[in-house]
Amino acid sequence: MGEALAELVGVEHSYRTKGGSVPALGPLDLRVEAGEFVVVVGPSGSGKSTFLRVVSGFEHPTSGTVRLLGRPPVPGRDIGVVFQQPRLFPWQTVGDNIGTALRWAGVPRADRPQRIVELLTQVGLGSLGPRRTWEISGGQQQRVAIARALAAQPRLLLMDEPFAALDAMTRERLQEDVRTLTDEGSRGVVFVTHSVDEAVFLASRIVVLTDRPGRIALDLPVPLPRSGITADELRGSAEYAALRGEVATAVRSVAV
Amino acid sequence: MAETRSAARPLSGTHAVLVRLAAVAVLLAIWELLVLAEFWPPAILPGPAKVWEQLLATSDAGNGQGGYAGSTLVERLGVSLRRVGYGSAYGVLIGIGLGLVMGLVPVVRAITEPFVTFLRALPPLAYLSLLVIWFGIDEEPKVYLLMVAAFPPVAVATAAAVTGVNKQYVEAAHALGANRARVVTTVVLPASAPEILTGVRLAVGIAYSSVVAAETVNGADGIGGMVLNAQRYNQTSVVLLGLVVIGVTGLLIDSAILALQRSLSPWRGLA
Repeated sequence: MGEALAELVGVEHSYRTKGGSVPALGPLDLRVEAGEFVVVVGPSGSGKSTFLRVVSGFEHPTSGTVRLLGRPPVPGRDIGVVFQQPRLFPWQTVGDNIGTALRWAGVPRADRPQRIVELLTQVGLGSLGPRRTWEISGGQQQRVAIARALAAQPRLLLMDEPFAALDAMTRERLQEDVRTLTDEGSRGVVFVTHSVDEAVFLASRIVVLTDRPGRIALDLPVPLPRSGITADELRGSAEYAALRGEVATAVRSVAV
Repeated sequence: MAETRSAARPLSGTHAVLVRLAAVAVLLAIWELLVLAEFWPPAILPGPAKVWEQLLATSDAGNGQGGYAGSTLVERLGVSLRRVGYGSAYGVLIGIGLGLVMGLVPVVRAITEPFVTFLRALPPLAYLSLLVIWFGIDEEPKVYLLMVAAFPPVAVATAAAVTGVNKQYVEAAHALGANRARVVTTVVLPASAPEILTGVRLAVGIAYSSVVAAETVNGADGIGGMVLNAQRYNQTSVVLLGLVVIGVTGLLIDSAILALQRSLSPWRGLA
């Protein structure tokens, strides 16, 4: 077994409302290892976002334990988060957005300009540093958000439907780039989506959540190759189609 | 890409200037016509030409009375602007500081808000008497009066801006490892800057419009003092000159703050 980045044991979460407590998640157990690209799929309202908020430490589970690298989760420690909206700071340039993340990660001032260029290059935006955040496209903004989340070199990257608001072509290109994030082996990704296509294309492992409260309905390793194949070949392969059908059936069966 | 339209499209730069100049010209023409028609005697309503003469006379240090009652118009304007500048600066600093704490700590807001609103409701002339008793008749009570007049709008605007900062930015900052202090300096303050500056515009406007009140006690060397003095001697044209000068410089100051606001937050309305 590889190194555990995230470990959830008996995690349950409920939201308190006027009418009493509404269960949103669990109970569920999940272990995410280094090098894994786990995609969590589920219908709307299946507690996917709650799941990410609990893993990232923004919410404390009502019961059960969450461990990131053996410690209780604290927002901003060991993890990077990419949200559905880029959430770049509009009062800073693209480069300064990443510079701020580097500063908060404790990177010395002298090293930051070099790292900003490296991170922007990594997401294919090497020359956009001086631009204003609203001058670049939505897809580019989300790339900057990914670069910003990677600034502290987190072991675990959490992504909350990051491509849901993008057009289809931009989404596919970003998927192709994000798919390689776990290639080097020490990093893990937990990616939440409601799109079966996105899940099958990206994942090394797919977790299907049930309708509220979200429990694990299916936990499936994805045997598709992660290198030596083009995105189009992969999307056109029989294995991809078969897996897509299997996951779609599972998602449909848990949705009400 | 489709052209984006806001609810009301502002006039373009040169167009706006032309429209405003035309409006001023029409106003001056109506004024002159009223004077020519002699609805009121010239001592009650002197014409634009008479006010212009006063502008030249009060600007001339060698006219036998050192401009007007010992100081030229520009000297008086300088004295008053200095008072407004200090009063506004202190008011803005206190306003931003208090507003920030009000916005971040609900208990502080609950305690201080009634007092701020109370101060806001008081006319500056009303508390001038108290300030004179406490601080004498030199510069202090004048600057303090303008400070007290200037700080409530800044405090209220800052508190509202801080409370209204998009939680998504705050959460993104926490996700990047920022602590509370860093969130305040790097997210909350810059995100609030446009609204705070709206409060500053309001505050400087209120301070400037209170300058006449501030100069009612031993302030004869300022522009407000000139208006008060001229009123005593029925020099209507000097009173009008003072009003025009205060109004025009007030407009210029407001434009300067607006330009500052635009350059500090070009992202306003875009992101």
